[in-house]
Amino acid sequence: MTRHLISLIWNRRRHNFLLSAEIFFSFLVLFGVVFTSLKFADNWRQPLGFDIERVWNVNVNRTGPPRGPAGVFATFQQLVVAARELPQVESVAAAVTAPYDDSNWNGDERLADGRSVEYSVNEVTDDFLKVVSLQLVHGRWFSREDDADTLKPVVINRRMARAIFGTDDAAGQIIHLQHVPDAPPDEPRGDRRVIGIVEDFRKNGELSDRGNFLFHRFRLDVDGTTSAPQQFPAVLVLRVAPGTTAAFEETLVKRLQAASGGWTFDVRPVTQQRLDMLQKYATPLIAIAIIAAFLLLMVALGLTGVVWQSVTQRIHEFGLRRAQGATMGNVRRQVLGELAVLSTIALVAAVLLVVQIPLLPIDAHEYSLLANMSTERGVFFASVVLSVAAIYGLTLLCGWYPSRLATRVQPAEALHYE
Amino acid sequence: MLRHYLVLATKVLLRRKFFTFISLFGISFTLLVLTIATAMLDHAFGPAAPETRQDRTLAVQYAILYGPHNMTGNSAGFKLFDQYARNLPGVERLSLFTRNFEAFSYVNGQKVQSSMKRTDGEFWQILDFRFVEGAPYSHDDVDQARFVAVINTTTRRRFFGSGPAVGQTIEAFDQRFRVVGVVEDVSEMRNIPFGDIWVPLTTVKSNAYKAQLMGGFNAIALATSRSSLPAIREEFNARLKRVELPNPRQYDTLVAPFETKFENFARTIAEATQGFAVRKSPTFAESQAWKAVVAFTVVGILFALLPTINLINLNVSRIMERTSEIGVRKAFGASSQALVVQFVVENVLLTLIGAVIGFVLSLFVLRALNESGIIRYAHFAMNVRVFGFGVLLALAFGLVSGVYPAWRMSRMHAVEALKGGRLR
Repeated sequence: MTRHLISLIWNRRRHNFLLSAEIFFSFLVLFGVVFTSLKFADNWRQPLGFDIERVWNVNVNRTGPPRGPAGVFATFQQLVVAARELPQVESVAAAVTAPYDDSNWNGDERLADGRSVEYSVNEVTDDFLKVVSLQLVHGRWFSREDDADTLKPVVINRRMARAIFGTDDAAGQIIHLQHVPDAPPDEPRGDRRVIGIVEDFRKNGELSDRGNFLFHRFRLDVDGTTSAPQQFPAVLVLRVAPGTTAAFEETLVKRLQAASGGWTFDVRPVTQQRLDMLQKYATPLIAIAIIAAFLLLMVALGLTGVVWQSVTQRIHEFGLRRAQGATMGNVRRQVLGELAVLSTIALVAAVLLVVQIPLLPIDAHEYSLLANMSTERGVFFASVVLSVAAIYGLTLLCGWYPSRLATRVQPAEALHYE
Repeated sequence: MLRHYLVLATKVLLRRKFFTFISLFGISFTLLVLTIATAMLDHAFGPAAPETRQDRTLAVQYAILYGPHNMTGNSAGFKLFDQYARNLPGVERLSLFTRNFEAFSYVNGQKVQSSMKRTDGEFWQILDFRFVEGAPYSHDDVDQARFVAVINTTTRRRFFGSGPAVGQTIEAFDQRFRVVGVVEDVSEMRNIPFGDIWVPLTTVKSNAYKAQLMGGFNAIALATSRSSLPAIREEFNARLKRVELPNPRQYDTLVAPFETKFENFARTIAEATQGFAVRKSPTFAESQAWKAVVAFTVVGILFALLPTINLINLNVSRIMERTSEIGVRKAFGASSQALVVQFVVENVLLTLIGAVIGFVLSLFVLRALNESGIIRYAHFAMNVRVFGFGVLLALAFGLVSGVYPAWRMSRMHAVEALKGGRLR
């Protein structure tokens, strides 16, 4: 049967080649959309690592006369104290980036053993854990104990611990960085002591990819000159008491302005920032998915038309087969079978092309969609299977009505047509 | 003859309504997407107010210090431009202004967020803002650090409702400014002029910026002619090599190139895919512009590929249905060429009908995009350039999808065709 179908298809190879090409490109379009959607669904299931209930982000603009590193840190210290004194504020921390805000800080380091790690970074004060409810899984969080440490204390996420040390429980281990032979002596470099592991801190939210994350510790009480700071804090993150309303915003800003002596502040509701961030991730996918849906609808209609036409044209062929004793089911299977063989040819070619992607040597930050396809094997293969199934479903659906037409032919009528 | 073809084509199209519908659906949808993409590109890069002199404008939009192991900075400081970008040969005017920053004001208890820029007086000479009220602030206002502001129409509505704004005051960043002019909204996609509120750069709280080599400033230069652009870039890059760097042992190279608007965009795309390392070459953006054009074309062709194959398949089917007609015409002596022309004319007619539907739909989609506010103050619109490009696309689409089926049809033998034979 299949051999017969293939020889039938071969007889009309030019026409069928174009149909296969159409199915081939439809698969590629569908696969891109399915992969991205499944990736987002997978990201959504992963732990976020923090909680934004009753959390407010306050952006700090250091307007006014410059005051040098020591002055900046001293002012932040005053701000934290001032905010904490307000009864509506439960806890407050200073940080470089806050949950769901726009700024990102990324680093990459070469380790002593030659590997290099890329990660996102934040530098925070000791209360940060409490404010955003980070989930500590091993070791401990920053505290006054770290004041005397000669190494820089860091807290990393589970994924980074696994990447560097091969184990989740890396508390107490040291990240040895590669020594740069001709580095100037005053360059801030040095090994880091991992004091704790947190579940995660995916600050860009539910749809963002998982990655390595590392926290440095801010000390506001030092003069800022002993160890040159890499960054200044840019945001105050605070958790307010239950029942605090937006009316408190103005009180808070006035209080902070008074404490800072000329800086300006803006309070960003984190729930709004979360929606903005989700929208930022989802909008391109939605736009592309709409276009893809129309493309596939167009292909489906086109395919239906083509199969319909070919069935009408071959009506005498089917009539002849019926006259020779083929059942209705046989004829219908022939029409659908031809479509299935065409789809298989297209899908084999397309899948062979697509499975090359995980084998490509892709640099991690190049072409993020392709890089994701090569690292997220589970999602990748699920997308291949789902897309293949969907394309088979689509082509057979297109053949459904025309194949019914083919079975309705009365043998006598069809033979008469000839 | 052509008229005859057209009448025939209309008859054929009306005979099989389902096929005509499918074809029109595909054509109008494809042209809809391509037209919207073109309108967006035109909105961002076409010459329009306030960037009417875009073809001879260059901008510096980043500055980075590189050392053997480190890099720092992301924008240039006032001092860098003030000391090294003045009096470049071939430059007619130079404007220095800050990057946009968000300002928050309270109007009747409501919080209003505005995007703000501090600029010099030249800014208003290089860029061609459309004033609906008042006028820009002058060099004198900037020199005297007067607290005056130009706002856009949206900001006027937020602060003052429907009334006029000139002469009134607004509060932003703890400072009070007297409004001297109101301009039409400028789209966020035009990042150089974009803003809600523009004020003199001298109104900043401290004048420490005057001594800073790095941080916070962009510059645009208006060249006397297009031909002087390469010389301007070269001279500025050469001058940057002579800049006295504060800590040459740690950072020994300063990169801050002049770019055209499209180069700036091409570089941003390259950064998204290749990382920020590409910024290190001052000529990188220039080399990327043509690559971006190629990339857009390739994406456009890839997108149109599926609809094209779809339409070819449909056309081949339509021809098969008409084999007896073709057989009769061949038997009565019609040449292959005549048949090809007839079919291509039919297909182009179909495409043009689809294009008209696509254009009408795109007007609705563009309006919906404008109203959605996804891009601040975007005003995507159909204009002569976009329309002309769309017509070209439609004709190309019609020819490409019509020629191959027509050629297959013309090769059919008359006898076979009369028997209702099939295409090989």
